[in-house]
Amino acid sequence: MGALTDKYCIVGVGETPHMRPSNRTTLSMACEAVSKALADAGLKPGDVDGMTSYQAGDSTTSPHVATALGMRLNYAVDILGGGSSGEALVANAIGLIEAGYCETMVIFRSMNGRSGRRMGGQTPGGPVPVANAEGDAQFNIGWGWTTPAQRFGMSAMRYLHDTGCTTKAFAEIAVAHRYHATLNPKAIHRSPITIEDHQKSRWIVKPFRLLDCCQETDVSVAIIVTSRERAYDLRHPPVFIMGGYARTLTDSPQWNYSRESLHYVAGNYGWKRSFGMAGISHKDVDFVSCYDAFTFTTLIQLEANGFCGRGEACPGWAEGKHSYDRQAGCRQLRKADICYGMGWGWENMASCLVLRGMAA
Amino acid sequence: MPGPIDYSKLRILPDFDTVEWWAATRQRKYLVRQCKACGHKWFPPTFPACAKCASMEVAWFETAGKGTIYSYVVVVQPIVGAFIGTVPYVVAIIELDDCKEADGRVTRVAGVMIDEESEVAIGLPCEVVYEETNDPKIVMPRWKINGTASGVWRFTE
Repeated sequence: MGALTDKYCIVGVGETPHMRPSNRTTLSMACEAVSKALADAGLKPGDVDGMTSYQAGDSTTSPHVATALGMRLNYAVDILGGGSSGEALVANAIGLIEAGYCETMVIFRSMNGRSGRRMGGQTPGGPVPVANAEGDAQFNIGWGWTTPAQRFGMSAMRYLHDTGCTTKAFAEIAVAHRYHATLNPKAIHRSPITIEDHQKSRWIVKPFRLLDCCQETDVSVAIIVTSRERAYDLRHPPVFIMGGYARTLTDSPQWNYSRESLHYVAGNYGWKRSFGMAGISHKDVDFVSCYDAFTFTTLIQLEANGFCGRGEACPGWAEGKHSYDRQAGCRQLRKADICYGMGWGWENMASCLVLRGMAA
Repeated sequence: MPGPIDYSKLRILPDFDTVEWWAATRQRKYLVRQCKACGHKWFPPTFPACAKCASMEVAWFETAGKGTIYSYVVVVQPIVGAFIGTVPYVVAIIELDDCKEADGRVTRVAGVMIDEESEVAIGLPCEVVYEETNDPKIVMPRWKINGTASGVWRFTE
């Protein structure tokens, strides 16, 4: 066990509905998510003294939300970042509480990811008429290479080349994810699909089809982090934090095409540290929640985090090797973005609800 | 062949770190950054320091603009207005022939292929070509297959 293992926990989760479009401001959605997280934990606004969020210049801030809800905070900070920021802010919260800067911290993300600012330079109505290419964009907009699908597609293509896998593996992941979405009343897409449906869906950017991609969503999600001691008299069993890593990657593929392997992700560098902090090994894990911006990202994260070797996450989805079915024993995967709704990875934090269910 | 790129819908805004790179493309030269201290080369030039030795004494290396396709995507749904009439087009990552370093590192660059999807494959050789835009200050590099190779790999789905 690490020094901080099980010392801090997640005690509340709140989400707005998944909307397309929301017809609401990011501040309004954030207030709803934070209020729901407080209610879920059994806390009042005055019980929280820290707040943090991440965004990309597309959202409201912690001071706005705190002002709206009448919360006087001891610590508030908002950072810029993408889909790997949720875990970074959980780690920040642990450090801040451990150091005494605050006692209970709410973390939120609020975005109009479909009706507002879309990724890759699209307007809500479609392609941006005239694109300004400055900074990093000088070296991607000019060659029409801007979206996460286009970037991850480059990694995925090289992965298919290196491993001999085909997009049948992507199809199997899409089918498994959709099956589990049928069981989740909040998921945006709930009709079952087949391998053929995936293979016949239209190309977005080869090697990705429509059914490989996650759902641009208008949504806000909030969670509450506090200490084990503070958690005892709250409403639900706490979900303890054992260890982690955040933004471990040094060479981002969007800036450095020359990195060791295009399809390496943070897990390739961080998993040993994370498991070491937790004091566990892979065989102790029976639930995995992967960021599934694309079918392919589920697959590479299983490999990156050491659950299987390179190229080994490919086969086996159809046979239930990677299953949500707890009866099957080993690993569970919670599908989030592809069918449920996309909040830049933050839906994975809402997997706390699943863990809470398993503990109960 | 992919359709034309509508450069009137693109506005490239060079900055202090990149203005010389864009100036070089006007003279049909393809540059990468090179570290004066250790010789390491990299792209894109938006990064002002050497990731190998952290030196900020940086220069330019003029490459021959020839390389091998390392990976690619075929953009089918256009996202940027300038490329609406271009789809489907191939964006490739290319390993430059004259940027191989002793420790095994190879400088990779990215760009839009002139060739159509069915002609592109990982492992094929290619070279840079230059395309004028509506902005006289901006000449855009593109890439073109310039030979054959054995053991190439193509996405055929």
